Amino acid sequence: MLSLKDVYYRYEPGGIEALCGVSLEINDAEHIALIGPNGCGKTTLIRHLNALLLPEKGSVVVNGLDTKKERNNAQIRSLVGMIFQNSDDQIVGMTVEEDVAFGPENLCLPAKEIKKRVDESLERVGIADLALRNTENLSGGEKRLVAIAGVLAMRPRYIALDEPTAFLDPAAAGMILEIIDKLHREGVGIIHVTHNMAQAALAERIIVMNEGKLYLDGTPEVIFGKVEILQKINLRLPQVTQLLIKLKEKGYPARTDIVNMEEAINYIEELIKKE
Amino acid sequence: MYHAGTFITGKSFLYKLDPRVKLAFIIVLSVFILWSAPIQVYFLGVALLVAALASKISIRSLAQSVKPLLIFIILIFLAHALFSDSNSSFAGISMSGAHEGFIVVLRFLCLIAAAVLLTMTTAPSALIAAVKYFLRPLKYLRVPVDDIAVMIMLALRLMPILLLRKEKIENAQKARCYDVKKAGLMARVRSFLSLIITVLLAVFRRADELALAMEARGYAREERTSATTMKITPLDHAAIIIFVIAAIIFMALKYYLS
Repeated sequence: MLSLKDVYYRYEPGGIEALCGVSLEINDAEHIALIGPNGCGKTTLIRHLNALLLPEKGSVVVNGLDTKKERNNAQIRSLVGMIFQNSDDQIVGMTVEEDVAFGPENLCLPAKEIKKRVDESLERVGIADLALRNTENLSGGEKRLVAIAGVLAMRPRYIALDEPTAFLDPAAAGMILEIIDKLHREGVGIIHVTHNMAQAALAERIIVMNEGKLYLDGTPEVIFGKVEILQKINLRLPQVTQLLIKLKEKGYPARTDIVNMEEAINYIEELIKKE
Repeated sequence: MYHAGTFITGKSFLYKLDPRVKLAFIIVLSVFILWSAPIQVYFLGVALLVAALASKISIRSLAQSVKPLLIFIILIFLAHALFSDSNSSFAGISMSGAHEGFIVVLRFLCLIAAAVLLTMTTAPSALIAAVKYFLRPLKYLRVPVDDIAVMIMLALRLMPILLLRKEKIENAQKARCYDVKKAGLMARVRSFLSLIITVLLAVFRRADELALAMEARGYAREERTSATTMKITPLDHAAIIIFVIAAIIFMALKYYLS
């Protein structure tokens, strides 16, 4: 379990509070979407989860390990993997294989085990054929998959992804979402920072942040049911929910608590059949 | 995008050699290149060329590695040709000076070719593992060998990024109709300075992010293991024997020629 208790954080002394009394618990194998306007503290929050940032006040505990104790760092960083917004900034190695091996090498694992983990991670994200490729020659989507494989090689219990589909074309973004879903089904906890409401709707739980504070916390249906509250912080509903609201406004007997595409399609099909 | 000198996968003879053996060969070869008699430099040049072709590395790749240093090479040649102490001269260029300049340039080209052969046929991780192997005794003197290895890895990683960044900025300038070739000297200097500053700023930002990403993946400036396993095979034994015999003949010839 990941637990944040009354966490405060400022990037500069005397500066504005990037996190302001955040308390939160994230259970094992949970799929969470973290949403909110730019500068609301989403990235700051996830960087606390693997001890990249330490709270000024309060505490962050990862599976019983306090992030403030430096001796816990190695274990915390293998428990919580971090995918940065720009994969280019995350890739350390010249070849895919070399980059994926970087984390296990830091864990001081023997060469045989590192090789096993590298092969296994590349296989899990479906890029085993890229193992020997130069990381500079990869596409944006491939780089993102290499970054995910690099984190998986450390066998994390949770992965925090900072806008993993940013700058990607729809096909590559779809591929990344499939991988995230697959990892969640395999039991890895997902903390997905996103501005895309359709992607947020795929999570089991959505946490909305605003001005460094927790604003809302609940299931997608509950969160997207609070239209007016979301509008106050300039957040929009998923497009399917917007469509259903428009249908209702036009007099159709449409439900407006549907947030994902598949459910919406089934529901609209039912409506058409009834008509 | 491919940049000269970077590793490309392959299966030829040089790829199969242990990285430690290759690194040792290149170090010894570099000494021979600098120390050999002029006639021997031609042989070394031909040998390196044969090794490159046998490793399926094209002459074009080697030429690409030389391209950024072309002005420097021409300057070396001209310095020898124009300012050499000799009586026989044509248009200020002495023939013996020109020959001397040619040999110096050839030595320089051989050194580049040797380095390129090593980096193109050895995966960076294997090369770093080899460097780490040779630096290992320094651990007893508390030299941070693991950190040095990571520094080399990052330098190798940042080099193409730097070149790519430079190309992107140049293209952005061209897209706005800026032609550096038509610009005056001062404008060129200004353009060069702004290019350098922009590239450096981008690299510093990248280095900052990279450091954070490394930390997130458990890097802590402590001892770390390596995924690369190195093993001396019969092929390495054969290569060492041939190299030692060639080196003995080479030294005997050098002694004889001098």
